[in-house]
Amino acid sequence: MRALPRLQICAAVLAASSLVAGCTASSQTPSDAPTTGAYTDDPNNAELTYWYWAESDAPGANDWMKSRITEYQTKYPGVKISLVPQATDTLIGAFTTAAQTKSGPDIGTQWATIPVLSQAWAGAITPISDLTTEAQRSSWINASENTDQGKVWGVPLYIIGIPLAYNKDLLTKAGIAKPPATFDELLSACDSLRAAGVTPIGGGNKDGFFGAWFFSNFGKQNLDTVSELKQAVIGTNDLSSSKYTGFYTAMAQLRDRKCFNDDIASLNLDQGSAVFGSGKSAMSWGTDGMISNWAKTLGADKIGVAPTPKWGTGKLADVYNTTQSSSAFVTSWSKHPRAAAQFLTWLHDPANVTSWYKATGVFPADTTFDKSLMSTDLVKSQWALTSLPDAVWLENFLPPAVDGDGDLAAGQTITSGGTPAEAVATFVAAAEKWRTQNPVEVEAYTAWAGR
Amino acid sequence: MTLVATAAHATPGGSPATPRPRRPRPLWPYLFIAPACAALVFGFIYPLISVVRNSFYAGTVYELNFVGIGNFKTLFEDPIFRTSIANNLRLLLTVPVMTVLALAVAAILHSGVRGGVFYRAAVFLPYILPAAGIGLGFSVFLQFNGGLNQSLRAVGMGGLAYDWLGSPNLAIWSVGAVVVWQQLGFGVVVFLAALLSLPVEVTEAARMDGASWWRIQTRVHLPQIRGTIEFFVVLQAITVLSLVFTYVYILTTGGPSNSSSVMEFYIWRSGFAQGSVGLANAAAVVLLALAGVLIAIYMRLRLRDDDPALR
Repeated sequence: MRALPRLQICAAVLAASSLVAGCTASSQTPSDAPTTGAYTDDPNNAELTYWYWAESDAPGANDWMKSRITEYQTKYPGVKISLVPQATDTLIGAFTTAAQTKSGPDIGTQWATIPVLSQAWAGAITPISDLTTEAQRSSWINASENTDQGKVWGVPLYIIGIPLAYNKDLLTKAGIAKPPATFDELLSACDSLRAAGVTPIGGGNKDGFFGAWFFSNFGKQNLDTVSELKQAVIGTNDLSSSKYTGFYTAMAQLRDRKCFNDDIASLNLDQGSAVFGSGKSAMSWGTDGMISNWAKTLGADKIGVAPTPKWGTGKLADVYNTTQSSSAFVTSWSKHPRAAAQFLTWLHDPANVTSWYKATGVFPADTTFDKSLMSTDLVKSQWALTSLPDAVWLENFLPPAVDGDGDLAAGQTITSGGTPAEAVATFVAAAEKWRTQNPVEVEAYTAWAGR
Repeated sequence: MTLVATAAHATPGGSPATPRPRRPRPLWPYLFIAPACAALVFGFIYPLISVVRNSFYAGTVYELNFVGIGNFKTLFEDPIFRTSIANNLRLLLTVPVMTVLALAVAAILHSGVRGGVFYRAAVFLPYILPAAGIGLGFSVFLQFNGGLNQSLRAVGMGGLAYDWLGSPNLAIWSVGAVVVWQQLGFGVVVFLAALLSLPVEVTEAARMDGASWWRIQTRVHLPQIRGTIEFFVVLQAITVLSLVFTYVYILTTGGPSNSSSVMEFYIWRSGFAQGSVGLANAAAVVLLALAGVLIAIYMRLRLRDDDPALR
């Protein structure tokens, strides 16, 4: 999931990656077959360094990883793993610096899609699909987020879905029998809820992330593929057309129908989520983790989850919103790629993904974890959505500069009273500025968009 | 022999019989200033040159392409940068406000009000609080349903309960108000110190001549602390021009929709969040130039005070 610190750093990755982009990327031959034969290190005898990040997304992740390493080292006495937890602010910068000198960890961590792929384009990553079999990867969820040129570059460890959460009691109070499934139903629900004295949707967009979520939830709904967005970002397609930015009209409609809390423009995302968590709004979008916290205060039986109401007509309108957030990968300079891959693959053993879920409460990015641990209907509903195939988190496909100056700012334009046309102009201007100001990034992104 | 030669050399209008060999200037004193020079070069001059140099390049820190004045052209075509400059200029308007307020409070405290020490401490307190803490506090207080608006509604002034941080038209002014609140204490302390250092005889003489409190302040005290006021004004102008990043970052994150972005924030976001190193450097050069103008004005004022011919 993109957050501000990540945004800040993503640019550096994309930029730095371009240094070596082209030369290394072109040397990778797309192939579906694992090519582990090309690597000759002994997987059972290695000293590995793992730069790890996950605690911010999933409290308890660090302790879980330490326990897994201890167990792995017991199982494979010839393997020693040094765990180096990474800070959010320096995650990309530290790895990028390491990549410049081709020294550093054997296993790295970056956020999904552009941050991972940028390092791949820079030649800093050995594709995990070259080190694992398709059968080993078959249970991984959302591996497609880090797939490029026919290669899977990162290992997903956990996934985060963003459903529309609703307060059952408040919907009932307004005479609404089921959560809105379409945009028209959402507008109608807003009217009913307002009439009943209930704030329909709680949120905070002072930091722009509510708008960015809106982009991911609704902006994809007129697209058939994410490639269409990439083409619009590089200027081949018209970003100002309603296909790409028409959702701002929908956002403005929600605002004008008083669907949002009146202080949405002056609350941050976290503060806005508390509106729903305190029972003051009937609906809100939230991560699986946020919903777990809401369940603690409101009661799991009081909350339901549903996909974002359908607004668009593209194929992606029927696709859910899930992202693996951070991903692990084997570095290209590691002398022990097979050992690193073996460890990462071992983390996907059913016992390990189950222990992850027990330790963090966040869904593992693997279908094999023990589902009986999901004790409430709410959690089961979340899992049913989060594990849907082909999920897309659209924001992952925006260059950081376009995301910051365009996506986040345009959403703020709407929640602070601006018009859809102003929001679209903001988004388009950000993309144009990025294209003129970041030629190296644009080159790498364009090559990606063309594949 | 040496004494004779020195004496001859010292004779006014005289010339030595034999030219005295010039003694080589010793180098060892330079060793003492070398660390300071090195610190100056590496800590200030080199970064400054780098900033100016990089302002003519585009790309990333790893791969820069020469673009001439392209970055400056982009800057001034970028509505976000224009907004940022305009906001810095708007914030300059807070300087006279905080100056007048600080002078007023200092004058009142100087007049010997009861509990003056307490008030002085209370006014100065915000200045020693960390800007991040102040920003966090005000980011809650100024929310649409925050403490300020709740108070306004409670006293029947709900019509004034605006979205102070969430409105594009108000956000930068809210930032300015917080800056005034924080910097006011500094001004009060500076002006109070200046007032306390004035000779009491002049004030007493004015009082004996029947001058009112207001007249004493405006005709006796203010002229005497003019230099201090000038110093404060220039210092605060530089502060609101180049030291308000923390407030903007925490209070508004430059939003909504970049409406409260200032040059510092623009530089940070361009350089660190978006990887546009050249653009960030170009913006830094512009900011440096503006700050330089203010510093030049201040230096000119100081010179004028020191040299009556310039008055």
